[in-house]
Amino acid sequence: MSAVYSLGVDIGGTFTDFTLYNHATGEVLVEKVLTTPGAPYEAVFTGIEQLEKTLPGFLANANRVTHATTLVTNAILERKGAPTALVTTRGFRDVLETRLENRYDVYDLNIRFPEPIVPREHRFGVTERVYSDGAVKTPLSEAEVRAVAARIREAGLKSVAICFIHACRNPEHERRAAGILREELPGDVAFSVSHEVSPEPREYQRSSTTVLDAYVKPPVSKYLASLESGLKARGYRNTLEMMLSNGGSTSARNARDFPIQLIESGPAAGVEASGWTCRLFGIQDALSFDMGGTTAKLCILRDGIPERARKFEAAREHRFVAGSGMPVTVPVYDLVEIGAGGGSIASLDGLNLLSVGPVSASSVPGPACYGRGGMDPTVTDADLVLGYLDPEYFLGGDMPLDLQAARDAIGARIAGPLDIPVEEAAYAIVDLVNETMAAAARLHIAEKGCDPRKLTLIAFGGAGPLHALELGRKLGCPAVVFPPCAGVMSSLGLLTAPPAFERMKTVKIPLEEANHQAIAGQFSDVHGDVIRIIGRHDDMQFRHVAELWYRGQEYPLDVQLEGPPSAPGDITVMRQKFLDRYKELYGRLDEGNVIEVVALRVIGSFGEGIAEVRLDKGTKDRNFDKRQVYDHATRAFAEVDVVSRADLPIGRTIEGPLVIQDRESGIVVRKGNRLTVRENGAIFVELHGGTTEQAVEEGS
Amino acid sequence: MKALDVILTKILWSRLISIADEAAIGMVRSCYSINLRDFRDYCIGIFDARGSMLVHCTDTTPGFIGIMPEVMRNFLAKYPVDTVVSGDVFVTNDAWLGTGHLPDITIAAPVFNGSVLIGFVVCVAHHLDIGGRMASVHSRDMYEEGLRIPILKLYDAGKRNDTIFEFLRVNVRFSHKVIGDVNAQLVAIESCRKGVLKMIEEYEFDNLDLLADTILALGERSTRQQIRALPNGVYRNAAKLPPFVPGAAPIEIVVAVTVDDDEVSVDYTGSSPEVDIAVNNTFTMTVSYTSYAVQLVLNPAVPNNAGCLAPIKVVAPRGILNCQPPAPTWGRAMVAHYLPEIVLKALAEAVPDRVVAGSGSIPFHAIYFKGKRADGEDFLTFVAHMGGLGGSASRDGYSCLSFPFNIASIPVEAIENETCIVFESKELAPDTAGEGRHRGGYGQEIIIRVPDDDHAPPKPVQTTVRGVNRSPASIFPIAGCFGGRPASGPDFTLNGKAADYNHVYDFAPGDVIRLVVPGGGGFGDPMERQPELVAGDVRAGLLTPGNARAQYGVVVRENRLDAEATDRLRREKSVINRQLEEKGR
Repeated sequence: MSAVYSLGVDIGGTFTDFTLYNHATGEVLVEKVLTTPGAPYEAVFTGIEQLEKTLPGFLANANRVTHATTLVTNAILERKGAPTALVTTRGFRDVLETRLENRYDVYDLNIRFPEPIVPREHRFGVTERVYSDGAVKTPLSEAEVRAVAARIREAGLKSVAICFIHACRNPEHERRAAGILREELPGDVAFSVSHEVSPEPREYQRSSTTVLDAYVKPPVSKYLASLESGLKARGYRNTLEMMLSNGGSTSARNARDFPIQLIESGPAAGVEASGWTCRLFGIQDALSFDMGGTTAKLCILRDGIPERARKFEAAREHRFVAGSGMPVTVPVYDLVEIGAGGGSIASLDGLNLLSVGPVSASSVPGPACYGRGGMDPTVTDADLVLGYLDPEYFLGGDMPLDLQAARDAIGARIAGPLDIPVEEAAYAIVDLVNETMAAAARLHIAEKGCDPRKLTLIAFGGAGPLHALELGRKLGCPAVVFPPCAGVMSSLGLLTAPPAFERMKTVKIPLEEANHQAIAGQFSDVHGDVIRIIGRHDDMQFRHVAELWYRGQEYPLDVQLEGPPSAPGDITVMRQKFLDRYKELYGRLDEGNVIEVVALRVIGSFGEGIAEVRLDKGTKDRNFDKRQVYDHATRAFAEVDVVSRADLPIGRTIEGPLVIQDRESGIVVRKGNRLTVRENGAIFVELHGGTTEQAVEEGS
Repeated sequence: MKALDVILTKILWSRLISIADEAAIGMVRSCYSINLRDFRDYCIGIFDARGSMLVHCTDTTPGFIGIMPEVMRNFLAKYPVDTVVSGDVFVTNDAWLGTGHLPDITIAAPVFNGSVLIGFVVCVAHHLDIGGRMASVHSRDMYEEGLRIPILKLYDAGKRNDTIFEFLRVNVRFSHKVIGDVNAQLVAIESCRKGVLKMIEEYEFDNLDLLADTILALGERSTRQQIRALPNGVYRNAAKLPPFVPGAAPIEIVVAVTVDDDEVSVDYTGSSPEVDIAVNNTFTMTVSYTSYAVQLVLNPAVPNNAGCLAPIKVVAPRGILNCQPPAPTWGRAMVAHYLPEIVLKALAEAVPDRVVAGSGSIPFHAIYFKGKRADGEDFLTFVAHMGGLGGSASRDGYSCLSFPFNIASIPVEAIENETCIVFESKELAPDTAGEGRHRGGYGQEIIIRVPDDDHAPPKPVQTTVRGVNRSPASIFPIAGCFGGRPASGPDFTLNGKAADYNHVYDFAPGDVIRLVVPGGGGFGDPMERQPELVAGDVRAGLLTPGNARAQYGVVVRENRLDAEATDRLRREKSVINRQLEEKGR
């Protein structure tokens, strides 16, 4: 076999998705298997074995396996990380709990903050102190560190975060404390040290990032090690590449050391896929909507470019409001994540009010209809009861669904207590989860100053296509696009761009005194760091970015360079680019103030991403006919035509109502909506009018 | 012009807020001091062409929200709308025309669409310094307090007024930071102006009039509806505040809150006259914190604007809450921060589920430092540390939370980077929370040292700890409510000896300050608190087993709850309490 393959594997809370791309033919093969939460790599190997049935030996010919996982974010959301200790400078063990001491909503006295990941009894101060210039004020008390080790051992904690004051200026005490604790503690205890995880001043944000890194490290590390060795055993010869939270890449080796970088890995892959969809169809402003089994992810793209941020907030506590979560200082795509997915569990609270999510049935036990012992009704159960899903064609029939189990679960937990028909209870569950997502979307869109009526909704993920038209209607979006492979879109997104590996170095060079050779020398060090991760390739490309600010400020601006400076004139160009960018962003200049270069970054990439796809139709699965779908208006089931997505010819326009069925998901098109099939098999549905359900005075 | 339906109204309203929020981000990113960057003491508002406030930025402090409309009114009194031209930028820091003390500089500018004035943008920022006596309640009049900038044009039709900048430059300490921050305010102004113009262009409006009328009317209607839900009546409270300097007479605040159908009026008649220490409030400041207190009780369903403020009337006769020039005002917030607590207490019986018990952050605990580092670099800065929030009907108070003001604690790493001082502790302080069914939040212990090794400064650091003593024995403890207990009050020592708040100390190498910022008051009977929660606090090292027993009737042995012993103890205590109660009758 001479073909060259790229494989994208995305693990979600419920499903593990695969996209296999043949670089020679543009053909794409997809696969979807249930996630195996206890040992997530098992699902990866199962999927690869499935693909091998069609393309034997492809893994040995793969030049790229790129991976994304929601393992990190789910572990945090569901509080399923390792029991973690926090070791701090004596006197600072409560920084994690007292946060920034301000309120994110001045008018609400009932605001909530997340419980600290590490409870107070597992936060330990040790004697040591470093001055802000890095000089040691008080040496580290090694005896105290050993005493803390004993307490960590007694408490049976499996991971240790170390965050000392001014560790960014002098990391020696952190290193030494980590060294001692490693000696004293069992070998399976993981370590996250703040100056490595998040080398930025400001103790609260760094503690929060380091603690979260530690919290997820044992499960992630174990997982990636098994995955790497399993891939190797199956013939893969290159680096296992991981997608970072900002769409960049790193090696699995590096990701194991700093798993918090993966916090938005899966969602970032989805956002990449939306960017690709925008490029392919010339869409300007879009809302990427990725709904899987556990969460829904939303990200705005302007001019086809996803919005980025330098920090992220995990597990926002309150109404999706900024400031109510746990800060993580890693570069990310600027997205919101909501605890709403196919596996979200519906329940009644003490007042018999319905709620859906954020707890998910995940894949084990999964929704009731999976027949794996799940007793709680979920969104997927409701979708099935309403006829949105075909019990005999879930995953192309590989996984039959138990309709009766879904009805029973909804009946027992919701419809019975409320004394309403099961279908009505199912409809209420679906409507509530859609409304929850719409509320979060509205806030995010408003925060970003966008108008939902100008955003094309790009819908994917296992549950996304089923819910997108209702979400789009609630938001007032003009159109919804269902890209090809919508059910496994994130795994496709892993391959749409060439891998981009980034390294940086902090410096402090006043621009007036800057020497182009010195800066080029520093760049060359960073360049070397990049090569060390990715190795040498024939078609490597490098981008060079300098970060500059006016001395006294603390937020630098990025300046994109043509390459490392090679002549004195290049420094002048750098200066001018900074001034232009400053003027553009801030509308003015602080003339006379000193400009400093504060960081140098190099981004290396090689190979190429996917341009267009040709869907492998595979075997003709099955003829679809008609299905009973619940219509809320009449409160009755009505017969609706069902067509296979693979059968839809490009260029065709069809009026609803109908159901479009594909292997991974489905689209329920209502009466009055028109769909068009476009290139690459993407489906466009126009929505009429902006009939959002949002009232101006909520609740009055 | 397009019509404005409910959907578009909502979108444009949110859009205006996000324009103000983006402007705040621009200001923070381009500023030069930790006041804006970490302390976040600022506010940005967008106003209509008549000068009515439409929105303010989300991340802000309540003291400024109610003041911005007053400052805007004063700008327009000096420069009437028909004289304003494109490129004008107004400035002032006058206490009476502005925010109540000199360190806050307010900047405002008109927004023109072509030749038509469509609105204004306003930015208030607390500056590092404004000259005069630094951070002191001891000034006897405003002339001691620094440079006073009357309402002037910082830019006149686009032309920069260098005279103002020069006066500012030579009158303030650390002028490069102060002027850098003024420039950052100009970034915010420009960002808002552009944002508003882009918005109306995008939606094909000529001006903001229709949007303004709509959202002001909605704000007012919603607020009046909320007020109507309160029981009519006159609710009173009075409080004597602990002295700010030793020997000073207590200041008394007297309040009568009248709820009359869809209006609330808050009248401070009977409160103390002006004092000759710098804690006097201009009427603008009194209005701001009073309307905020009322809005907290109302729990408004819509974002705040001038319409929301319209049904709330404030009356304060000349005195501590309506001082006149040349009264000194630097530490005005030391009185103003009490106002929400005093107003909420008045309303507690009427709306028990909307109030919180006393909070340990009131008044604001800040520490001011001026000195020289070992490397010769001068510094001037301050830090703030929050106490515990009071408990409420729905939950325990959070530990160390800003209230009623809303500013962030400056990171230790940021503050040490600028100064020579070293924090030895910043940790929750055990047994500081007022007990209750829902306890108050915990306060914190701050220990700060001036190094005496090679990092010792060449001379002592001028240091002032701002605060008052609200211990349970004082005339105004941090009270609990509905049976909750008061918090245990603050503590301030210098080298182990009791020290005076608001006094300027020479903080010399080797000296140590210890400050306990108090917790919040409890809500409801402590005997009704779930024993497991009490045991949790003991396990966390926040509550001593002795106090768990004495205050909660909960027995905790070796970090485990003894449920049986707890039951027994609580029964005994309730018998004793009943007997005491009967005796009392």
